[in-house]
Amino acid sequence: MSLCASIDTLSMAYLDDELAAEERRELELHLVDCASCKLHLDAERADLQLLRVALVPPPAPDTVKAKIARALDSEDQRAARAGRKRWARYALPATAVAAAAAALLLFVGIGMKQPHTQAIATVTHEVVRQQTRPLPLEVQGASTGSWLREHFAPVEPPQFDEPGIQLIGARATAVQGHDAALLRYLVNVGINRVSLTAVLIVDVRQDMLNGGEAVRIGNLTLHLADADGQPVVTYVDDKRIGYVFTSERMTMKELLSIVVTSDLIGRAQQQLR
Amino acid sequence: MLAAREKRAEFERQALVHTDALYGAAYRLTRNPRDAEDLVQDALLRAYRFWDSFEQDSNCKAWLLRIVTNTFINEYQRKKRSREVLDAASAEQDATDGVLVHADASDRQTPERALLDRSVSDDVQRSLDALPDDFRTAVVLCDVQGLSYKEIAEIMHTPVGTVMSRLFRGRKLLAAALREFATTQGYVRDEAPKPGETADPKDKTIDLDAYRAQKSREGSS
Ligand SMILES: [Zn+2]
Repeated sequence: MSLCASIDTLSMAYLDDELAAEERRELELHLVDCASCKLHLDAERADLQLLRVALVPPPAPDTVKAKIARALDSEDQRAARAGRKRWARYALPATAVAAAAAALLLFVGIGMKQPHTQAIATVTHEVVRQQTRPLPLEVQGASTGSWLREHFAPVEPPQFDEPGIQLIGARATAVQGHDAALLRYLVNVGINRVSLTAVLIVDVRQDMLNGGEAVRIGNLTLHLADADGQPVVTYVDDKRIGYVFTSERMTMKELLSIVVTSDLIGRAQQQLR
Repeated sequence: MLAAREKRAEFERQALVHTDALYGAAYRLTRNPRDAEDLVQDALLRAYRFWDSFEQDSNCKAWLLRIVTNTFINEYQRKKRSREVLDAASAEQDATDGVLVHADASDRQTPERALLDRSVSDDVQRSLDALPDDFRTAVVLCDVQGLSYKEIAEIMHTPVGTVMSRLFRGRKLLAAALREFATTQGYVRDEAPKPGETADPKDKTIDLDAYRAQKSREGSS
């Protein structure tokens, strides 16, 4: 067969060193006889060289390397602290609340001095503690929404408008004597799928989930807290449903970036109307 | 504690030596030094957290590039969206609450920073901007990072054939854009298209498997 017909494919694979030895020899032999293919390959080689020169990126600035070193330091400290907690099964994420807030362009009021030292709510603590026990789900997949309305309260599960976050299922539970529903999501984080838990609690007072750092987004006031290295984001809506979001293997930055893209923000705005 | 220190030393030895390469990939993927910093930092922190899942003796750079690429593909859009939400929120809070401290002001708002952002929006970046994400990712992994078709296929979860056609079309579009910028800037004369370049790259079929299949049919007949 004539190699000329496949010269686009062959010259590309040749220049990328992806041809088998025999294929390479065959093409090289052909180039001796076929001026047109030779011309084509030479032009492709020149283009590729120009392209690769144009694409050479700058090296990482030293400031980036320093930032990475600091991030690893705080990850080490976090892991060491978490290691002292008997129930902490994993090396917990690093980013402190303040760092997460910084990276996500949050504004921090001048009056707020020590966000870390603010006690986090007992309810929040209980949710985080419960979450470390892997209990089976009672309902899975698409029927989770109707299960929630039937067995829990007339609420919708928080929705995330993207394929990377998937509602897996739910189970009924109780937190400090309040009926609650635990919703489990799976989230694509890098190459891993990480579980995200949302616990919905009925009949909570507005201040029951306070603690940590308060952040207002639109009409929504979220509280960001750090429960022994595990990030927690809480919110209470006007129907006194409390929402507690947490994940064992996410940083606060990751958790917050997911929570703020949920439909809770739209709901909070609707409630005002 | 000793184990922790060993982990850190091992990570520095095997992973952090690739920081420049990862930053380069992040820079070309995000097309923005600020996002590149965030991406490479997030990816390395994540790699550190999941370091025990790295198979020793396998290609560490390819593993790290996979984390960078997946983080970019999976989360870049999410992050961009959440930043928009938070930006809007902070603007609102700024207006209602009076004086506030911008938590990240030192890092983001300086004139030097703005200048830096502007100076890198060069021809290459503009040409890259015009590429679909999939094409750009294939070109970055091959022509910036030197990965093989097979390694790219694994990272992008696509067959090698798809990698080749994305790479082929991505390169053609990029080369054409670069040439156009060079022409309009007066760097090169407007030349007639080279032989074989008159056709739209979309019309060309890049298929090494088909070539090999045909070859083996002919060989056995
Ligand atoms: Zn020929």
